[in-house]
Amino acid sequence: MSKFSVIGKRVHNVDGPEKVTGAAKYAFDMTLPNMLYGKILRSPHPHAKILNIDTSKAEKLIGVKAVLTAKDTLGRKVGIWRRFPELCDEEILCSTKVHYIGDPVATVAAVDEDTAEEALDLIDVEYEQLPAVFDPMEAIKEGAPQVHDGVEFNINVTRHIEWGDVDEAFKRCDHIREDRFYCSSQAHMCMEPHNTVASFGFDGKLTVWSSTQSSYYTQVLLAGMLGLREGDVRVIKPHVGGGWGGKVELDATQFCASLLSMKLCRPVKIVFNREEEFTATKRRTPMYYTVRLGAKRDGTLLAKEVRVITEGGAYTCLGATTLYVTGFFSSFPYKYPNYRYDGYRVYTNTEPTSAMRGFGAPQATFVGESQLDMMAEDLGIDPMAIRRKNGMTPNYEIPGQAYIQSCGLHECLEKVEEEIKRQGKLSPNHGIGVACYSFVSGGIFNWFDTPYAFSSAVVRINIDGKVDLYTGACDIGQGSNTVLSMICAEELGVHLEDIRIHAADTGTCPPDLGAWASRETLMNGNAVKAAAADAKRQLLELAAAKLGVNIVYDLDIKDRWIHIVGRPERGLSYYDIVREAIRGKDGEMVIGRGHYTPRRKGMVSPAYSFGVQAVEVEVDPETGKVKLLTATTAHDSGTVINPLACDGQLEGAISMAGGYGFCEDQPMDNGKILNPSIGDYKVIRSLDMPKTKILVVDTYEPEGPFGAKEAGEGLTNPTAGAIANAIYNAVGVRITDLPITPEKVLNALKEKKKKEST
Amino acid sequence: MIGNFEYFAPKTLQEALTFLDKYGDKCKVIAGGQSLLILMRQGLVAPEYLISIKGISSLNYIRSDLKEGLRIGALTPHRVVEKSAIIRSQFAVLAEMENKLASIQTRNWGTFGGNLCHGDPAGDPAPVLIALSASAKVASLKGERSIALEGFFLDYFETALQPGELLTEILVPPMPARTGAAYTKFNVIETDMATVGVAVSITLSPNRDTCESARIALGASAPVPIRAKHAENVLKGKKITDDLLEEAGKIASSEAKPISDIHASESYRRELAKVLVKRVGKEALARAIKA
Amino acid sequence: MKKELRLTVNGQSYELYVEPKTLLVEVIRNQLGLTGTKRGCESGVCGACTVILNRVAVKSCSVLALEANGGEVETIEGLAKGSELHPLQKAFLDYGAFQCGFCTSGMLMSAKALLDEAPNPTEEQIKEGIDGNICRCTGYNSIVRAITHVAKGQI
Repeated sequence: MSKFSVIGKRVHNVDGPEKVTGAAKYAFDMTLPNMLYGKILRSPHPHAKILNIDTSKAEKLIGVKAVLTAKDTLGRKVGIWRRFPELCDEEILCSTKVHYIGDPVATVAAVDEDTAEEALDLIDVEYEQLPAVFDPMEAIKEGAPQVHDGVEFNINVTRHIEWGDVDEAFKRCDHIREDRFYCSSQAHMCMEPHNTVASFGFDGKLTVWSSTQSSYYTQVLLAGMLGLREGDVRVIKPHVGGGWGGKVELDATQFCASLLSMKLCRPVKIVFNREEEFTATKRRTPMYYTVRLGAKRDGTLLAKEVRVITEGGAYTCLGATTLYVTGFFSSFPYKYPNYRYDGYRVYTNTEPTSAMRGFGAPQATFVGESQLDMMAEDLGIDPMAIRRKNGMTPNYEIPGQAYIQSCGLHECLEKVEEEIKRQGKLSPNHGIGVACYSFVSGGIFNWFDTPYAFSSAVVRINIDGKVDLYTGACDIGQGSNTVLSMICAEELGVHLEDIRIHAADTGTCPPDLGAWASRETLMNGNAVKAAAADAKRQLLELAAAKLGVNIVYDLDIKDRWIHIVGRPERGLSYYDIVREAIRGKDGEMVIGRGHYTPRRKGMVSPAYSFGVQAVEVEVDPETGKVKLLTATTAHDSGTVINPLACDGQLEGAISMAGGYGFCEDQPMDNGKILNPSIGDYKVIRSLDMPKTKILVVDTYEPEGPFGAKEAGEGLTNPTAGAIANAIYNAVGVRITDLPITPEKVLNALKEKKKKEST
Repeated sequence: MIGNFEYFAPKTLQEALTFLDKYGDKCKVIAGGQSLLILMRQGLVAPEYLISIKGISSLNYIRSDLKEGLRIGALTPHRVVEKSAIIRSQFAVLAEMENKLASIQTRNWGTFGGNLCHGDPAGDPAPVLIALSASAKVASLKGERSIALEGFFLDYFETALQPGELLTEILVPPMPARTGAAYTKFNVIETDMATVGVAVSITLSPNRDTCESARIALGASAPVPIRAKHAENVLKGKKITDDLLEEAGKIASSEAKPISDIHASESYRRELAKVLVKRVGKEALARAIKA
Repeated sequence: MKKELRLTVNGQSYELYVEPKTLLVEVIRNQLGLTGTKRGCESGVCGACTVILNRVAVKSCSVLALEANGGEVETIEGLAKGSELHPLQKAFLDYGAFQCGFCTSGMLMSAKALLDEAPNPTEEQIKEGIDGNICRCTGYNSIVRAITHVAKGQI
């Protein structure tokens, strides 16, 4: 018997009926009367001075209403790390210099897309090409071209994390390994491209509909760049076709559409085509890893030293956070008494690298889990045993860094190990690899410098008991609308269908930082729970008075029945109390407010998810082709609010994380991405998807609403490492740079054969 | 962005040929358009006139004749070829190849002939048809001619079709007795374009002891689909063993002229050709033994 | 110069005038306002634009509208009958076979075309049936389960 009425049940996604009937409207589908279409002209050079832009011919083209460049802006720079102005380095419309192939230099609004595109060809831009640099290892060298003025060695951001005494600890180790790894880029490839409809009215107010992960960030950053009051900018998030970190920051569709609309006082819509999606948005941060790991003979890990150089691309964006997260999760999920991390984010003249599902942790986990298997083999210890020996446990603290409360890692290890044993002996060229992982449930740092609580919610109860829930949380497909409605219903003691959620409209909903770093369930969930509790309290106050209950008794609501806890037979109808409460408030609706901002507890994050994944592969030794057969995942996300959605995250992550491991890549030539189309950019399809098995681990996270913590991002971390370990288990070759292509595997097999024959 | 063009939709072959003759190199033919529209969208192809031949129902057929063999009308959709009972029983390799070609949506609308006229060296049908000794029937106002498939492709995306000519039919001669044919392509994603594709047809001698003849065709291994004739000669007249197939693979690999691109290096493609010729040859042999 | 286009879409007849270069997906979304069908790429690969044309699944971004002249088109908007969802739609809800929803319309039309053609498909055939539809969210297995459920119910 579940103690919950709503939570934990397999319910339909509340947006489901709209989505399966084609009725769900995305910004992509929006048109407004009198609307114009915008396009963006981009730099063909990776690094160049803009000498002159002549827009006169384009302006004369019939159907063109405006052609704007940097001179039509306030000349400001945007960045998401608002607390650090030197990291706000993106103009969007470049004024004097372009920094990567695809950097915008002009924008056009016309009566239709074809005309706008034609107009782009009529804009003459005079460039003076500058020396460019593409590899961060080159960019940090003396004499390398300077991507941004005044940034020594192109080092954009550095991060340092340290505890214990690593140098001393290495002296006590029985065995030390030093290894290098390369983690590649990855494109978000959301099915819905970036797009925005912006409408600036004669009243001086801007309304924007955009495919965004954070309507709040969009509002604030747009206001800043356009010189508008935040309150005069309203950002509405329709249904969004995927985000994964690519739609958190202010993008060119939002900025240019708004700029054009302000100039023309007409709605303007800008939609990126797929080539722009691949080349002129943001992408996963490529990283060069050097790791030193030291252990005792019995497998106890004593020291880990990590040095990372990341390819930053042309602008900072969220790459500054990624630099930290990768270093932080290089210390997870094991107990390292001594740890040191130094990270360097290096500017390059390539597409900016920023945040993508996992936020630097998939890279850290690929490296960490690969090296741990290598260490285990050196010591002659079973890979599962070494993980069990060092894995984090509940209530573990890294002083000054992280405080972990719930931690189901060991239960996950147990379950996965059982499953592996059940597999028995594997066929030839089959292998199983394991990877452990962890992730944050949102972060605590306020680099955005918001004065608001990180999450807020308002609950409003109508006369008929129906509840309107207002939240800034952004459902981008991960299902926050459903999860938050469930939390609200559970707390308030009503049914899921009693809740109607209004989300991510800055004009009507209280602020929330948005959907990234897997924060919505825990952070906004806590805000929603608090708001529902606030509303409930107002009903219970009245009910207590009406029931005349003894002071030692508590009241609660379950299944629309307000009753004494433990004595459900004594109670009152929720509907009756709602009516009376409203009358008692002089006709005001019952309104509850809640908010949540994580405090120092947990330091980096209020809570961490944990898990273990085992992947079985089959390697074709003659071609190097790797087939993913099964992926078994045990995931600890605390109380599972919405099991259907949680399973969906588990399986979905495998396709994206598996892709990172073996087929997704963005090869470049002198800063030009060579495969900017779906088809040339390879992703897993239904015939490539392995069988998936989900193992449930039950824990309770005190910091999370009803004990819940994250599920969507942590699951992206393990797969690449598990694949690498599985390939080694199958055919004895270790690939240390992503993606693991058949060619790399075959070359490694040939090397191995050569070595064995000598 | 697709440029503007004038559009004609002839209902008969004669009408279509008349348009082609009239507009010459100012026009392009569209059948299913599954390849052409992408090129037009990229601006690589921008005809003034587009002649849509999909409505010519007389070119959509599959006929089989014991003497003449298999005749596939050029406008037969891939999916129809894939599901045809005749083809599944008599030329199974064609149906198998179609099953892995792009996606069902593409196969529903794209045509067999259109694929060949596109002239992509990585295309799936061409190596199979070459291995099966197929020929193409081509028509113009001046008459008809036949071109062997192995001579149909001249260069990347360039076929032997002359201005005013239209591919009307593919003729696949009846498979000789004791013949087996197979095709496979290498890719990382299951129904992706071939990194390398190999088709092999083997005919055994009357006592089924030795190989009477072999045809080995490689796709995505050169500017056009090619026959690996030297590799074929390795097998001809001999008893086919695993070692011999390995040898044939090595030779075929050296006959290939693959490129290096973002998906694979030249040397890896050669390696794939070697391995696939061996494997597909083995499968073809097994089928020949059963035939 | 515009040419006449006659189409039946979800049972309703239309007489339109279109430029020859107009794609079927543009007619469906822009002229008929049926925005359930999406567009995710320009290379005819992602499958988000899948509709059923003359009883077979096609990518409407890779079909010139005039090529469909006189044809019958079924889009996602025609799947439900009044307020009654199609069994596939119900199954997608039950199995959580969608997340962001952008590929869902195309996915459902591919699934319907598959079951119309092969009411008792194998798991392999189901996977083949949706292999032309990219989903970035679900990992496909829940979609396969949903379609399998409907197929089993149809026997």
